[in-house]
Amino acid sequence: MKFNDLFGGLVFLALAGLVAFASWNLPNPSQQPLGPSAFPLILSGLLALCAAILAVGGARATQGGPLIGLADWARSGSALARLLLVPAAVIFYMLFAETLGFLVCAPLILVVLFLAGGTKPLLAIGLSLAAALVIHSIFYLALGVQLPWGPLEPLRW
Amino acid sequence: MLDAYVTALGMVLDPYVLFVITASAIYGLVVGCIPGLSATMATALLVPLTFFMPPVPAIAAIVTTSTMAIFSGDIPGCLLRIPGTPASAAYVDDSYQMTLKGKPELALGIGLWFSVLGGLFGTAVMMVASPAIADFALGFGSVEFFWIVMLGLGGAVFIGSSTPLKACISLLIGLLIAMVGMNNPAGQPRFTFESTEMLGGVSLIPMMVGMFACSEVMRHMVSDGSAPHAVVQKIGPIFANMWRLTKQYPWQLIRGSALGTIIGIQPGSGADMAAWMSYAMSKRFSKEPEKFGTGHPEGLIEAGASNNSSLAGAWIPALVFGIPGDSITAIAIGVLMMKNMAPGPTIFVNNPENVYAVFLVFVIANLLMLPLGWAIIKIATRVLSVPRRVLMPIILLFAIVGSYAINNSLFDVGVMLAFGVLAFVLEESDFPVAPVILGVVLGPLLEEYFINSMIKSDGRLIGLVDRPIAAVLAAITIGIIGWTVIASLRGDKPSRQPAQG
Repeated sequence: MKFNDLFGGLVFLALAGLVAFASWNLPNPSQQPLGPSAFPLILSGLLALCAAILAVGGARATQGGPLIGLADWARSGSALARLLLVPAAVIFYMLFAETLGFLVCAPLILVVLFLAGGTKPLLAIGLSLAAALVIHSIFYLALGVQLPWGPLEPLRW
Repeated sequence: MLDAYVTALGMVLDPYVLFVITASAIYGLVVGCIPGLSATMATALLVPLTFFMPPVPAIAAIVTTSTMAIFSGDIPGCLLRIPGTPASAAYVDDSYQMTLKGKPELALGIGLWFSVLGGLFGTAVMMVASPAIADFALGFGSVEFFWIVMLGLGGAVFIGSSTPLKACISLLIGLLIAMVGMNNPAGQPRFTFESTEMLGGVSLIPMMVGMFACSEVMRHMVSDGSAPHAVVQKIGPIFANMWRLTKQYPWQLIRGSALGTIIGIQPGSGADMAAWMSYAMSKRFSKEPEKFGTGHPEGLIEAGASNNSSLAGAWIPALVFGIPGDSITAIAIGVLMMKNMAPGPTIFVNNPENVYAVFLVFVIANLLMLPLGWAIIKIATRVLSVPRRVLMPIILLFAIVGSYAINNSLFDVGVMLAFGVLAFVLEESDFPVAPVILGVVLGPLLEEYFINSMIKSDGRLIGLVDRPIAAVLAAITIGIIGWTVIASLRGDKPSRQPAQG
């Protein structure tokens, strides 16, 4: 997903506007000459300036071409699917880590990612169990981080 | 000062610290050796672990990992013609040609031996120069610090980047991210969207892990992950010719180390630019410039010494002023702040033993590089064949757990993902990512210095330049920005390689 400079410039211009709007009325309880809104306002002004220059330059270069160029990989469905697996895996962890527990959730994520990368199934299963156990040991045993146990709570060591 | 060094030596020679140094050294060497895993990523992944360590081992882990990873980035460059880190790209042709001529041990030996010498040179300069600069900077007020931060950021955006406009936007995004939370002079919650998790600002560790590890995993997913194959399997004696080469090319060694240190000190340019410039300089002054690129040792010596010495050089502004020169020192400064060792000239007065401990870690790390670097070269052909499609999912899991671990918070895992996606999209659209992290680390300081300076001068802008040192710093900063703007208006395109990693 390669954003064209015109598109990127417009996005950042909108962002600068939102920031300026959000910081305009920040309360200034200590009555200093420059309150909490001063610095964000300056930054949003500079961002708007840079974004405008970028957008103008992008508009000249684009000449009506597409706003979002697709990199080669984005045209291949399998690469796109593999890319989306990364956020999917993280969101899966966020949703299910508490209920399933780390030692169920982590190997599941790893197996899917290994298989997507073309690792052989048996090796993928073995590797994901081993890697999950090693990472669990580093954080739980060595650093004392309370990783969620979920249904494996009776097995806690 | 000697007392403080003795105390520092005691801190560093603690068995736990030595264990951390050795473990991070091996980790840095292995990660740096694997193509596609950068030194920055190695450092970022380590940060959640340093959260659980006392200050000295935490810093030791960061210093050692980055030093080792910069050296071992030479290995895949030499054996596969794929530089392991951007800093090795400058001389990859020469070292690969040596491998093709059947002398990989010569290229790798030069990489190792002259990295160590360059690193020790940079460390020596750091040990002498930074206390002196800190002494000078003790008289600085908020105005001077405001301009020093501006100079650091200006250097990073306008010198260290091939696309100044996009780097500028990246920097502003980073500064705006730093505005989130209550950490501002007025103590007001800003841009928190009524969320309690955001009151403390965006947590730095999940953000760094996301930007430098999660985004790398995403980039790997869209590339073809085939494991590269080394052309040689056997590597001969490594140190065989090193003494002869040191005597043959002493000037190249000194020039490379000195230039590397200076480039490291100068904010905004790091190891990769040091290597490019030293290689070019070596060719310029060489008696046999026609041999460059064909497996000639001269440029390798100069650039190999240069990129390691720049690493120590970059720590001078980082320790004295808290200004990171590149993303690795930005990460290091984040760790220092987390450990209540916020860098600045006063740290040399209040906790000199901590600073000297950092110096000693540099010395130890560079000396340790000789035996451990020898070992990694000997097993390099096997390390290189570890497939990345197996490593990347494990790295992602490590990133998830590392982000979760510091606060036991799933919200932080979400922060990690959000910044991973942001960094991926930015890089795909040719926006450099390093300025974002510089902005986030320096944003709160910049605002504090700015607001304090303005309050002192009753809100008049002249207060920013009416002290002599501040005026000089302001002139340099504006000069750098103005020069770049004029150059780009005249249509000069900087031809240098983009700084990254």
